[in-house]
Amino acid sequence: MSNRNVRYCQLCVAAVIMTLTIDACSSHQSTSNISDQPTHSSATAVDAPVKVTQSKLGTVITDYKAYVVGEVNKLADNTKVFTDAIKAGDLHKAQSLYAGTREHYERIEPVAELFSDLDGAIDARADDFAQKEKDPKWTGFHRIEMTLFQDKTTQGLAPLANKLMKDVSLLKAKVATLKIEPKVMVGGTGELVEEMSSKKITGEEDRYSGSDLSDFQANLDGSKKIVDLLQEQVHKTDPNLLTRIDENFNKIDTGIAKYKTTDGMFNGYVNYKKLTQSDRKALQSTLASLAEDLSLLRGTLGVS
Amino acid sequence: MSSSDPTSWSISPRIRRRDLLMGMAAAGGVAALSTLSFRYLTTANPQVSRQAQLERSVPFFGIHQAGIITPPPASALVVAFDITAATKADLIKLFQTLTQRIEFLTTGGTSADLNSKYPPNDSGILGTQIVPDNLTVTLAVGASLFDQRFGLSHLKPIRLATMPGFHNDQLDPNLCHGDLLLQLCANHIETSLHALRDIMKHASKYMLIRWQIDGFVSPNTLSKPHTTSQRNLLGFKDGTQNLDVTDAQFMDRIVWVQSNIGEPSWATGGTYQVVRIIRNLVERWDRTPLIDQEQIIGRSKDRGTPLGMKHEEDIPDYAKDPTGKKIPLDAHIRLANPRTEESKANLILRRGYNYSRGVDAAGQLDMGLLFVCFQADLEKGFITVQNRLNGEALEEYIKPIGGGFFFALPGVIDQSRYLGQTLLEGWFEGLTT
Repeated sequence: MSNRNVRYCQLCVAAVIMTLTIDACSSHQSTSNISDQPTHSSATAVDAPVKVTQSKLGTVITDYKAYVVGEVNKLADNTKVFTDAIKAGDLHKAQSLYAGTREHYERIEPVAELFSDLDGAIDARADDFAQKEKDPKWTGFHRIEMTLFQDKTTQGLAPLANKLMKDVSLLKAKVATLKIEPKVMVGGTGELVEEMSSKKITGEEDRYSGSDLSDFQANLDGSKKIVDLLQEQVHKTDPNLLTRIDENFNKIDTGIAKYKTTDGMFNGYVNYKKLTQSDRKALQSTLASLAEDLSLLRGTLGVS
Repeated sequence: MSSSDPTSWSISPRIRRRDLLMGMAAAGGVAALSTLSFRYLTTANPQVSRQAQLERSVPFFGIHQAGIITPPPASALVVAFDITAATKADLIKLFQTLTQRIEFLTTGGTSADLNSKYPPNDSGILGTQIVPDNLTVTLAVGASLFDQRFGLSHLKPIRLATMPGFHNDQLDPNLCHGDLLLQLCANHIETSLHALRDIMKHASKYMLIRWQIDGFVSPNTLSKPHTTSQRNLLGFKDGTQNLDVTDAQFMDRIVWVQSNIGEPSWATGGTYQVVRIIRNLVERWDRTPLIDQEQIIGRSKDRGTPLGMKHEEDIPDYAKDPTGKKIPLDAHIRLANPRTEESKANLILRRGYNYSRGVDAAGQLDMGLLFVCFQADLEKGFITVQNRLNGEALEEYIKPIGGGFFFALPGVIDQSRYLGQTLLEGWFEGLTT
C-alpha cells in the first residue's frame, strides 16, 4: 500500500467516526428535547403522537380502514371484469368500464399512493416518463386508456391488462395488512382536493377518454368520506370550520351535478370537454377555498 | 373569520358602516392629503443598505392609490383575476379582504405565532418579520366587472371597455383582460411574490388568477428631471420625457379622474390603467444596423438624445423638420408625441417595466416591455397615442401579445373604508349629489 493510500484509508476511518459521532449527538439531542418538556401540554402529543391521536380518533380510523378495504376490493373485482373485456377484444365494453373501475382507486388515492411503486405502475401518466407516450416502462390505467380511446382498439393490450390485474391484486393484499396512520387519513381529505385542483380540473388526467369528471367525483367522495368520519371531532373543536367545509362540498356537488348523464360511457358523467370555462373557474375557486379549510384539519384535531 | 382562526392576522376589526358615515364629515378636508409626500421615497438605490431598503414603506392611505405616481421601484408583478364571487355581498367581502391584506402587507408587521400542526400562517418568504420594502399594491377593475353579474353596469367608467386588438397586435387570450388587476411593485420581487401568495391565501374563495407577468427595471440613479438611466430591452433609454409627478395640478388634469368630466362620481380620484405586454423581437433587432435602430426610435442609442439634438431632455422641434430629415416621420418618439398644441391633450403617465419569460417554440428569447400607463381619459390618452403609432417603423420588431384596459380605483383615506367602496355601496354618490 502506498503512502497515499494509507493516508486515504485514515481519512475514511476518520470520516466514519465523525459521522457516527454526529449521529449519536443528534439522536441524543432530540431525545433530551422531548424529555425536557414533559409538563408542556403540547409535548405530550410530540412524545407519542400516534397513541394520543388514535385514542382521540377512536374507531374512526378503523371505520376508514374498512372503507378503504371495501374500495380496494371493488377495485380488484372491477379490474377483473375490465381486463377480461380487453382480453376478449370487446372494445365498447372495455371503454364503458374504464371510468367506473378507476373510481375505486381515485376514492382512496392518498392510501394507494403510499405504495409509490404500485401507484406508478397503476396510475402514472405519460408525462412521468422520459419517452412520454412511447415509453415502454409506462403501464397501468392511462396507458390502456390511450389505446382504448385514442387508437380505439384492444389490440396489443393483453400484456398490459394482465400487468394491471397483477398490480391491483398486489395493492389489495398490501392494503389489507396496512395500518393507517391518523395523519394519512386526516391529511388525505385535503390531498384528494389538491388532486382535484391540480390534475382533474385541467382535464390532463384522462386526456384520451375525457372521463375526468368521474375521477373528480371519486376524489370528492373519498374526501367527503373522511370528513364524514371526522365530523364529530371537528365539530367539537371548530364548528365553523365544519360548516365552511360542508358549504364548499355542497357547492362542488351543485357545480358538477348538471354534467351528470344517464348515458353510460363515463360512469354517469358527460365528457370533460363539455365543462364550460365559467363553471370550471367557479369550481377552481371553490376547490382552493376548500383546500385552505381542509389544511386546518390536522391542527384542529391535533394530529402531529 | 373568527379571531381563533389560525389563519387570521391580528388586525383590528373595522369597516363598520356607522364609522363610514361618520368618516364622511372628514371627506371634504381630504383633498389636502392629495399632495403625497413621496419625496422621501426613493427607488432602490445601490448606495442604500439592503436593510434600509426593506424598511421603507409607501403610505397606503390617501385619496389616490399608491403605485401610480409614487416612484417605480425595481420590480413589478402584474396579475389579472377572474372574480368567482357569485353575489354582490361576496364581492364586497372580497374588496374588504383585499384592502385589509394590502394595508398589512404595505405597512409590515409580524406573522402570528405558529402551531406546528397547522400550516404556517405565512409563506415565510420574508422571514417572520414582514417588511414593507416599498411595496405598493394597486387595485384596478376591468370592463367585465360591469357585466350583469353584480348589477354594476350603470356605474361603468364611460371610457372603460375590453381592450381591442390594435393594428400590430397578436393578442394571446391567456394574457388578456380580467375582472380585476393587481399591480404589485417593490424593491425586491420576492416581496411582491410574498404579497401575492398572502393575498391568494385569503381571497382564493372569490377570485382566480387569470394571468400574470413580472417585470424589472434597473434602479433610476439619476436625479436630474427629464433624464433617465433606465433602458428598455431594445437597449434604448426609455421614460426620458415622462410626466412630472410632483406637479399636483398637472397630475389632477392628466392622471386623476375629476368630478366634472362626466365620469360616475364614485370614480373621482381613480385613473384609467392600460397594461400592454409588448414582446421585443430582440434577435432581429440586434442584427439591425445602429443607424436604422436610431431612426426607428428617433433617439441616439448611447446618450438618448433626440436625433440632431444635444441633450437627452431636449424637445425636438418638428415644425423645423417637416419632412423628417433629422427624425423620420414614422420614428417612435415623433408619432408617440408629435409635440403639437393638440397633442398636449394626449399625455399619459408611463410606468414601464422590462420582462423576460424564457424562450418561445422557435427558440427565440421571449422578452420585451411590460408597458403600463395611467390617464384620466383613456380615449384622449393611450388610445389616441396608440392609434398614432399604428404603422410605425418599430412594428417590425415588436409584437403586443397581451394586457388590458382597467380602471384603478380611488384610494382609501383611512381604516374605516375599503377599496371600491364608492363603487359597491354608492354612498359617496348619494351624499354628494
